Amino acid sequence: MAAEKIGANFKRNMFTENQVLRAILGICSSLAVTNTMRNSLVMGLGVAFVTGLSSLTLSLMRNIIPFRVRMLVQTLVIAAYVIFVDLFLQAFLPDISKQLGPYVGLIITNCIIMGRAEAYAQSNPPIPAMFDGFFAGLGYTMVLLFISLIREVLGFGTIFGMNVNFIGFETWTIMIMPPAAFFIIGSMIWFISARAAKKEAPKAK
Amino acid sequence: MKRGHIYTFVFMIVITAVLVFALAAAYEGFKPSIEKNKLLQEQRAVLYSLGLDEGLTDADIAPVYEESIEPAALNGIEDVNGVKVLAHVKDGQTVAYAVPFDGAALWGALRGYLGVNADLTETTGLVFTYQNETPGLGGRIDEDWYKAQFRGLPISKGSNLAYGAFDSYKLDAVTGATQTSSAVLRTVNKALNETVFAGEVQ
Repeated sequence: MAAEKIGANFKRNMFTENQVLRAILGICSSLAVTNTMRNSLVMGLGVAFVTGLSSLTLSLMRNIIPFRVRMLVQTLVIAAYVIFVDLFLQAFLPDISKQLGPYVGLIITNCIIMGRAEAYAQSNPPIPAMFDGFFAGLGYTMVLLFISLIREVLGFGTIFGMNVNFIGFETWTIMIMPPAAFFIIGSMIWFISARAAKKEAPKAK
Repeated sequence: MKRGHIYTFVFMIVITAVLVFALAAAYEGFKPSIEKNKLLQEQRAVLYSLGLDEGLTDADIAPVYEESIEPAALNGIEDVNGVKVLAHVKDGQTVAYAVPFDGAALWGALRGYLGVNADLTETTGLVFTYQNETPGLGGRIDEDWYKAQFRGLPISKGSNLAYGAFDSYKLDAVTGATQTSSAVLRTVNKALNETVFAGEVQ
Protein backbone atom coordinates (compact mmCIF):
# COMPACT_ATOMS: atom_id res chain seq x y z
CA MET A 1 0.00 0.00 0.00
CA ALA A 2 1.36 3.40 -0.95
CA ALA A 3 2.10 5.61 2.02
CA GLU A 4 -0.77 7.94 2.76
CA LYS A 5 -0.06 11.57 3.60
CA ILE A 6 -0.88 12.54 7.16
CA GLY A 7 -3.26 15.25 5.99
CA ALA A 8 -5.14 12.80 3.80
CA ASN A 9 -5.23 10.33 6.69
CA PHE A 10 -6.66 13.04 8.94
CA LYS A 11 -9.36 13.96 6.42
CA ARG A 12 -10.25 10.33 5.84
CA ASN A 13 -10.64 9.51 9.53
CA MET A 14 -12.40 12.72 10.49
CA PHE A 15 -14.83 13.02 7.60
CA THR A 16 -14.98 10.70 4.62
CA GLU A 17 -14.56 7.50 6.61
CA ASN A 18 -15.59 8.67 10.06
CA GLN A 19 -15.70 5.56 12.19
CA VAL A 20 -18.97 6.37 13.91
CA LEU A 21 -20.93 7.84 11.03
CA ARG A 22 -19.60 5.83 8.09
CA ALA A 23 -18.40 2.57 9.63
CA ILE A 24 -21.04 2.57 12.40
CA LEU A 25 -18.46 1.54 14.99
CA GLY A 26 -18.35 2.63 18.61
CA ILE A 27 -22.08 3.29 18.75
CA CYS A 28 -22.57 1.86 22.24
CA SER A 29 -20.45 4.45 23.98
CA SER A 30 -21.69 7.20 21.66
CA LEU A 31 -25.17 6.58 23.01
CA ALA A 32 -24.12 6.31 26.60
CA VAL A 33 -21.62 9.02 27.48
CA THR A 34 -22.88 11.89 25.34
CA ASN A 35 -25.22 13.45 27.90
CA THR A 36 -22.65 16.08 28.84
CA MET A 37 -19.80 17.54 26.80
CA ARG A 38 -17.24 17.02 29.54
CA ASN A 39 -17.86 13.26 29.62
CA SER A 40 -17.73 13.10 25.84
CA LEU A 41 -14.46 14.98 25.65
CA VAL A 42 -12.73 12.77 28.22
CA MET A 43 -14.13 9.59 26.69
CA GLY A 44 -13.13 10.73 23.21
CA LEU A 45 -9.61 11.65 24.24
CA GLY A 46 -9.31 8.36 26.11
CA VAL A 47 -10.27 6.46 22.97
CA ALA A 48 -7.97 8.59 20.79
CA PHE A 49 -5.08 7.96 23.17
CA VAL A 50 -5.69 4.22 23.33
CA THR A 51 -6.28 3.86 19.59
CA GLY A 52 -3.18 5.85 18.73
CA LEU A 53 -0.81 4.07 21.11
CA SER A 54 -2.19 0.59 20.53
CA SER A 55 -1.89 1.10 16.77
CA LEU A 56 1.69 2.28 17.25
CA THR A 57 2.57 -0.67 19.45
CA LEU A 58 0.87 -3.23 17.25
CA SER A 59 2.43 -1.79 14.14
CA LEU A 60 5.89 -1.96 15.72
CA MET A 61 5.30 -5.62 16.44
CA ARG A 62 3.47 -6.41 13.21
CA ASN A 63 6.28 -8.54 11.83
CA ILE A 64 6.81 -10.65 14.92
CA ILE A 65 3.20 -11.28 15.96
CA PRO A 66 2.22 -14.83 15.04
CA PHE A 67 -0.65 -14.42 12.58
CA ARG A 68 -2.92 -16.97 14.24
CA VAL A 69 -2.95 -15.24 17.63
CA ARG A 70 -2.86 -11.66 16.36
CA MET A 71 -6.30 -10.86 17.74
CA LEU A 72 -5.30 -12.10 21.16
CA VAL A 73 -2.27 -9.86 21.05
CA GLN A 74 -4.36 -6.90 19.87
CA THR A 75 -6.80 -7.33 22.72
CA LEU A 76 -3.97 -7.70 25.20
CA VAL A 77 -2.22 -4.51 24.09
CA ILE A 78 -5.48 -2.54 23.94
CA ALA A 79 -6.50 -3.79 27.38
CA ALA A 80 -3.17 -2.72 28.85
CA TYR A 81 -3.59 0.84 27.55
CA VAL A 82 -7.21 0.99 28.70
CA ILE A 83 -6.27 -0.06 32.22
CA PHE A 84 -3.60 2.61 32.12
CA VAL A 85 -6.21 5.24 31.17
CA ASP A 86 -8.52 3.96 33.90
CA LEU A 87 -5.77 4.23 36.52
CA PHE A 88 -4.85 7.69 35.26
CA LEU A 89 -8.44 8.91 35.56
CA GLN A 90 -8.79 7.40 39.02
CA ALA A 91 -5.62 9.13 40.12
CA PHE A 92 -6.06 12.56 38.59
CA LEU A 93 -9.69 13.02 37.52
CA PRO A 94 -11.67 11.05 40.13
CA ASP A 95 -14.98 12.83 39.43
CA ILE A 96 -14.91 11.97 35.76
CA SER A 97 -13.72 8.47 36.56
CA LYS A 98 -16.77 8.00 38.77
CA GLN A 99 -19.17 9.35 36.16
CA LEU A 100 -17.79 7.35 33.27
CA GLY A 101 -17.63 4.31 35.53
CA PRO A 102 -17.79 1.07 33.58
CA TYR A 103 -17.44 2.84 30.22
CA VAL A 104 -13.71 3.36 30.65
CA GLY A 105 -13.27 -0.38 30.93
CA LEU A 106 -15.49 -0.76 27.90
CA ILE A 107 -13.06 1.23 25.74
CA ILE A 108 -11.49 -2.23 25.27
CA THR A 109 -14.55 -3.39 23.40
CA ASN A 110 -14.84 -0.21 21.35
CA CYS A 111 -14.74 -1.67 17.86
CA ILE A 112 -12.93 1.36 16.48
CA ILE A 113 -9.69 0.39 18.21
CA MET A 114 -9.57 -3.19 17.06
CA GLY A 115 -10.93 -2.07 13.71
CA ARG A 116 -7.96 0.24 13.19
CA ALA A 117 -5.56 -2.42 14.46
CA GLU A 118 -6.88 -4.97 12.00
CA ALA A 119 -7.48 -2.66 9.07
CA TYR A 120 -4.47 -0.39 9.27
CA ALA A 121 -1.83 -0.97 11.93
CA GLN A 122 -1.31 -4.55 10.86
CA SER A 123 -0.05 -3.59 7.42
CA ASN A 124 1.42 -0.10 7.85
CA PRO A 125 4.54 1.36 9.45
CA PRO A 126 4.35 2.57 13.07
CA ILE A 127 4.18 6.35 12.68
CA PRO A 128 1.35 6.46 10.10
CA ALA A 129 -0.42 3.76 12.14
CA MET A 130 -0.22 5.92 15.25
CA PHE A 131 -1.65 8.92 13.43
CA ASP A 132 -4.33 6.77 11.84
CA GLY A 133 -5.44 5.48 15.24
CA PHE A 134 -5.25 8.90 16.84
CA PHE A 135 -7.23 10.55 14.04
CA ALA A 136 -9.83 7.80 14.12
CA GLY A 137 -10.19 8.56 17.83
CA LEU A 138 -10.46 12.28 17.09
CA GLY A 139 -13.15 11.62 14.51
CA TYR A 140 -15.02 9.70 17.19
CA THR A 141 -14.46 12.55 19.66
CA MET A 142 -15.82 15.07 17.17
CA VAL A 143 -19.02 13.11 16.66
CA LEU A 144 -19.41 12.61 20.42
CA LEU A 145 -18.94 16.31 21.08
CA PHE A 146 -21.48 17.23 18.42
CA ILE A 147 -24.09 14.87 19.86
CA SER A 148 -23.41 15.98 23.41
CA LEU A 149 -23.61 19.65 22.41
CA ILE A 150 -27.19 19.09 21.28
CA ARG A 151 -28.02 16.93 24.29
CA GLU A 152 -26.42 19.11 26.93
CA VAL A 153 -27.90 22.37 25.63
CA LEU A 154 -31.41 20.95 25.33
CA GLY A 155 -31.24 18.59 28.29
CA PHE A 156 -29.47 20.69 30.91
CA GLY A 157 -29.33 24.15 29.32
CA THR A 158 -25.55 24.19 29.73
CA ILE A 159 -22.33 23.88 27.69
CA PHE A 160 -19.45 22.24 29.58
CA GLY A 161 -21.48 22.90 32.73
CA MET A 162 -21.82 26.64 32.00
CA ASN A 163 -25.34 27.95 31.90
CA VAL A 164 -26.47 29.04 28.45
CA ASN A 165 -30.18 28.83 29.15
CA PHE A 166 -30.69 32.58 28.95
CA ILE A 167 -34.30 32.55 27.83
CA GLY A 168 -35.24 30.04 30.51
CA PHE A 169 -36.76 27.31 28.36
CA GLU A 170 -37.91 24.06 29.91
CA THR A 171 -35.11 21.49 29.54
CA TRP A 172 -35.95 18.23 27.78
CA THR A 173 -35.62 15.20 30.03
CA ILE A 174 -35.47 12.90 27.01
CA MET A 175 -32.22 14.56 25.90
CA ILE A 176 -30.49 13.35 29.07
CA MET A 177 -31.56 9.76 28.47
CA PRO A 178 -29.82 7.43 25.98
CA PRO A 179 -32.71 7.39 23.43
CA ALA A 180 -31.92 11.02 22.57
CA ALA A 181 -28.47 10.06 21.31
CA PHE A 182 -30.12 7.29 19.35
CA PHE A 183 -32.26 9.78 17.44
CA ILE A 184 -29.41 12.23 16.94
CA ILE A 185 -26.94 9.62 15.70
CA GLY A 186 -29.61 8.15 13.44
CA SER A 187 -30.29 11.56 11.91
CA MET A 188 -26.58 12.26 11.47
CA ILE A 189 -25.93 8.94 9.76
CA TRP A 190 -28.92 9.51 7.53
CA PHE A 191 -27.75 12.99 6.58
CA ILE A 192 -24.15 11.94 5.91
CA SER A 193 -25.10 8.84 3.95
CA ALA A 194 -27.60 10.75 1.84
CA ARG A 195 -24.94 13.33 1.02
CA ALA A 196 -22.35 10.70 0.23
CA ALA A 197 -24.81 8.89 -2.02
CA LYS A 198 -25.54 12.10 -3.90
CA LYS A 199 -21.85 12.81 -4.40
CA GLU A 200 -21.14 9.34 -5.70
CA ALA A 201 -24.15 9.08 -7.94
CA PRO A 202 -22.73 11.03 -10.95
CA LYS A 203 -19.39 9.19 -10.70
CA ALA A 204 -21.08 5.84 -11.01
CA LYS A 205 -22.27 6.58 -14.54
CA MET B 1 8.09 -16.69 7.54
CA LYS B 2 7.00 -20.02 8.94
CA ARG B 3 6.89 -20.25 12.71
CA GLY B 4 6.04 -23.14 14.95
CA HIS B 5 3.78 -23.52 17.95
CA ILE B 6 6.61 -22.98 20.36
CA TYR B 7 7.29 -19.52 18.95
CA THR B 8 3.61 -18.65 19.42
CA PHE B 9 3.59 -19.86 23.02
CA VAL B 10 6.79 -18.07 23.94
CA PHE B 11 5.61 -14.90 22.21
CA MET B 12 2.35 -14.85 24.16
CA ILE B 13 4.08 -15.50 27.47
CA VAL B 14 6.67 -12.79 26.88
CA ILE B 15 4.21 -10.15 25.72
CA THR B 16 1.84 -10.88 28.60
CA ALA B 17 4.68 -10.64 31.10
CA VAL B 18 5.90 -7.35 29.64
CA LEU B 19 2.45 -5.76 29.67
CA VAL B 20 1.60 -6.98 33.16
CA PHE B 21 4.89 -5.64 34.45
CA ALA B 22 4.31 -2.25 32.81
CA LEU B 23 0.82 -1.99 34.30
CA ALA B 24 1.97 -3.03 37.74
CA ALA B 25 4.62 -0.32 37.60
CA ALA B 26 2.02 2.26 36.50
CA TYR B 27 -0.31 1.22 39.32
CA GLU B 28 2.44 1.55 41.90
CA GLY B 29 3.18 5.01 40.55
CA PHE B 30 -0.44 6.15 40.71
CA LYS B 31 -1.26 4.41 43.97
CA PRO B 32 -0.78 7.33 46.38
CA SER B 33 -3.16 9.63 44.46
CA ILE B 34 -5.68 6.86 43.89
CA GLU B 35 -5.75 5.99 47.60
CA LYS B 36 -6.06 9.65 48.51
CA ASN B 37 -9.01 10.12 46.15
CA LYS B 38 -10.69 6.99 47.49
CA LEU B 39 -10.37 8.18 51.06
CA LEU B 40 -11.70 11.59 50.11
CA GLN B 41 -14.68 10.04 48.34
CA GLU B 42 -15.42 7.78 51.28
CA GLN B 43 -15.23 10.64 53.76
CA ARG B 44 -17.37 12.88 51.58
CA ALA B 45 -19.90 10.08 51.25
CA VAL B 46 -20.14 9.65 55.02
CA LEU B 47 -20.59 13.38 55.52
CA TYR B 48 -23.22 13.44 52.76
CA SER B 49 -25.25 10.69 54.41
CA LEU B 50 -25.27 12.77 57.59
CA GLY B 51 -26.15 15.97 55.73
CA LEU B 52 -22.83 17.61 56.64
CA ASP B 53 -21.13 18.00 53.29
CA GLU B 54 -22.95 21.06 52.02
CA GLY B 55 -20.62 23.68 50.58
CA LEU B 56 -17.47 21.78 51.53
CA THR B 57 -14.58 21.87 49.08
CA ASP B 58 -12.27 18.87 48.80
CA ALA B 59 -9.78 20.52 51.14
CA ASP B 60 -12.42 20.99 53.86
CA ILE B 61 -13.54 17.39 53.93
CA ALA B 62 -10.75 15.82 56.00
CA PRO B 63 -10.78 18.41 58.85
CA VAL B 64 -14.58 18.33 59.18
CA TYR B 65 -14.53 14.55 59.08
CA GLU B 66 -11.82 14.32 61.76
CA GLU B 67 -13.73 16.70 63.97
CA SER B 68 -17.22 15.29 63.84
CA ILE B 69 -17.08 11.61 62.89
CA GLU B 70 -16.27 8.79 65.30
CA PRO B 71 -16.62 5.04 65.13
CA ALA B 72 -19.70 3.91 67.00
CA ALA B 73 -21.77 0.88 67.89
CA LEU B 74 -25.43 0.64 67.07
CA ASN B 75 -27.25 -2.17 68.87
CA GLY B 76 -23.84 -3.59 69.63
CA ILE B 77 -22.99 -3.72 65.92
CA GLU B 78 -19.66 -2.07 65.24
CA ASP B 79 -19.23 -2.95 61.63
CA VAL B 80 -21.15 -4.39 58.69
CA ASN B 81 -19.01 -6.77 56.65
CA GLY B 82 -15.87 -4.95 57.76
CA VAL B 83 -17.13 -1.39 57.20
CA LYS B 84 -17.36 0.55 60.46
CA VAL B 85 -20.57 2.05 61.79
CA LEU B 86 -19.88 5.76 62.26
CA ALA B 87 -21.49 8.46 64.34
CA HIS B 88 -21.75 12.20 64.03
CA VAL B 89 -20.68 13.45 67.45
CA LYS B 90 -21.24 17.08 68.41
CA ASP B 91 -20.18 18.40 71.83
CA GLY B 92 -19.88 14.86 73.14
CA GLN B 93 -23.40 13.94 72.06
CA THR B 94 -24.23 11.56 69.24
CA VAL B 95 -26.43 13.38 66.74
CA ALA B 96 -26.73 10.74 64.06
CA TYR B 97 -25.34 7.45 62.79
CA ALA B 98 -23.97 6.56 59.37
CA VAL B 99 -24.85 2.91 58.89
CA PRO B 100 -22.91 1.08 56.19
CA PHE B 101 -24.83 -1.32 53.98
CA ASP B 102 -24.11 -3.64 51.12
CA GLY B 103 -26.37 -5.57 48.89
CA ALA B 104 -26.82 -6.82 45.36
CA ALA B 105 -28.34 -4.55 42.72
CA LEU B 106 -29.05 -5.43 39.10
CA TRP B 107 -25.49 -5.70 37.76
CA GLY B 108 -23.29 -5.76 40.78
CA ALA B 109 -22.76 -4.93 44.40
CA LEU B 110 -24.26 -1.88 45.99
CA ARG B 111 -22.44 -0.30 48.91
CA GLY B 112 -22.94 2.90 50.81
CA TYR B 113 -24.16 4.54 53.99
CA LEU B 114 -27.60 5.22 55.37
CA GLY B 115 -27.71 8.09 57.82
CA VAL B 116 -30.22 7.90 60.71
CA ASN B 117 -30.68 10.33 63.58
CA ALA B 118 -29.72 9.35 67.12
CA ASP B 119 -33.36 8.69 68.14
CA LEU B 120 -33.72 6.30 65.20
CA THR B 121 -36.89 8.07 64.07
CA GLU B 122 -35.69 9.65 60.84
CA THR B 123 -33.17 9.10 58.08
CA THR B 124 -30.64 11.85 57.48
CA GLY B 125 -29.49 10.74 54.06
CA LEU B 126 -28.44 7.98 51.72
CA VAL B 127 -25.21 7.69 49.76
CA PHE B 128 -23.57 5.08 47.58
CA THR B 129 -19.86 4.45 47.72
CA TYR B 130 -19.99 1.74 45.09
CA GLN B 131 -22.51 0.97 42.39
CA ASN B 132 -22.16 -0.56 38.99
CA GLU B 133 -25.57 0.12 37.48
CA THR B 134 -26.27 1.09 33.86
CA PRO B 135 -25.15 4.69 33.38
CA GLY B 136 -28.10 6.89 32.49
CA LEU B 137 -30.61 4.35 33.81
CA GLY B 138 -29.93 2.52 37.08
CA GLY B 139 -26.84 4.66 37.51
CA ARG B 140 -29.14 7.60 38.14
CA ILE B 141 -29.60 6.42 41.73
CA ASP B 142 -26.37 8.32 42.25
CA GLU B 143 -27.99 11.59 41.19
CA ASP B 144 -28.87 14.14 43.81
CA TRP B 145 -32.62 14.25 43.22
CA TYR B 146 -32.85 10.54 43.99
CA LYS B 147 -30.58 10.49 47.02
CA ALA B 148 -32.07 13.70 48.44
CA GLN B 149 -35.40 11.90 48.77
CA PHE B 150 -33.87 9.86 51.56
CA ARG B 151 -33.39 12.82 53.83
CA GLY B 152 -35.90 13.00 56.67
CA LEU B 153 -37.87 9.83 55.93
CA PRO B 154 -39.73 8.53 59.00
CA ILE B 155 -38.46 5.12 60.14
CA SER B 156 -39.61 2.79 62.84
CA LYS B 157 -39.10 -0.78 63.91
CA GLY B 158 -40.83 -3.27 61.66
CA SER B 159 -41.99 -0.85 58.98
CA ASN B 160 -40.27 -0.94 55.63
CA LEU B 161 -39.81 1.96 53.26
CA ALA B 162 -41.64 1.72 49.95
CA TYR B 163 -42.01 3.72 46.74
CA GLY B 164 -45.13 5.82 46.38
CA ALA B 165 -46.92 8.69 48.05
CA PHE B 166 -47.84 8.07 51.67
CA ASP B 167 -49.20 10.15 54.54
CA SER B 168 -45.82 10.94 55.98
CA TYR B 169 -43.49 10.69 53.01
CA LYS B 170 -43.19 10.39 49.24
CA LEU B 171 -40.54 8.36 47.44
CA ASP B 172 -39.97 8.07 43.67
CA ALA B 173 -38.18 5.25 41.90
CA VAL B 174 -36.00 5.88 38.82
CA THR B 175 -38.07 5.61 35.64
CA GLY B 176 -36.83 2.79 33.43
CA ALA B 177 -34.72 1.28 36.21
CA THR B 178 -37.21 -0.72 38.24
CA GLN B 179 -34.79 -3.50 39.15
CA THR B 180 -32.14 -1.13 40.43
CA SER B 181 -34.67 1.01 42.28
CA SER B 182 -36.14 -2.03 44.00
CA ALA B 183 -32.68 -3.30 44.88
CA VAL B 184 -31.84 0.00 46.56
CA LEU B 185 -34.96 -0.14 48.67
CA ARG B 186 -34.39 -3.80 49.51
CA THR B 187 -30.86 -2.99 50.64
CA VAL B 188 -31.96 0.04 52.65
CA ASN B 189 -34.70 -1.95 54.35
CA LYS B 190 -32.20 -4.69 55.11
CA ALA B 191 -29.94 -2.12 56.76
CA LEU B 192 -32.90 -0.83 58.78
CA ASN B 193 -34.00 -4.28 59.92
CA GLU B 194 -30.63 -5.88 60.48
CA THR B 195 -28.58 -2.98 61.80
CA VAL B 196 -30.60 0.04 62.85
CA PHE B 197 -33.36 -1.88 64.63
CA ALA B 198 -31.47 -5.10 65.18
CA GLY B 199 -31.26 -5.13 68.94
CA GLU B 200 -34.60 -3.73 70.00
CA VAL B 201 -37.27 -5.82 71.61
CA GLN B 202 -39.95 -6.96 69.21
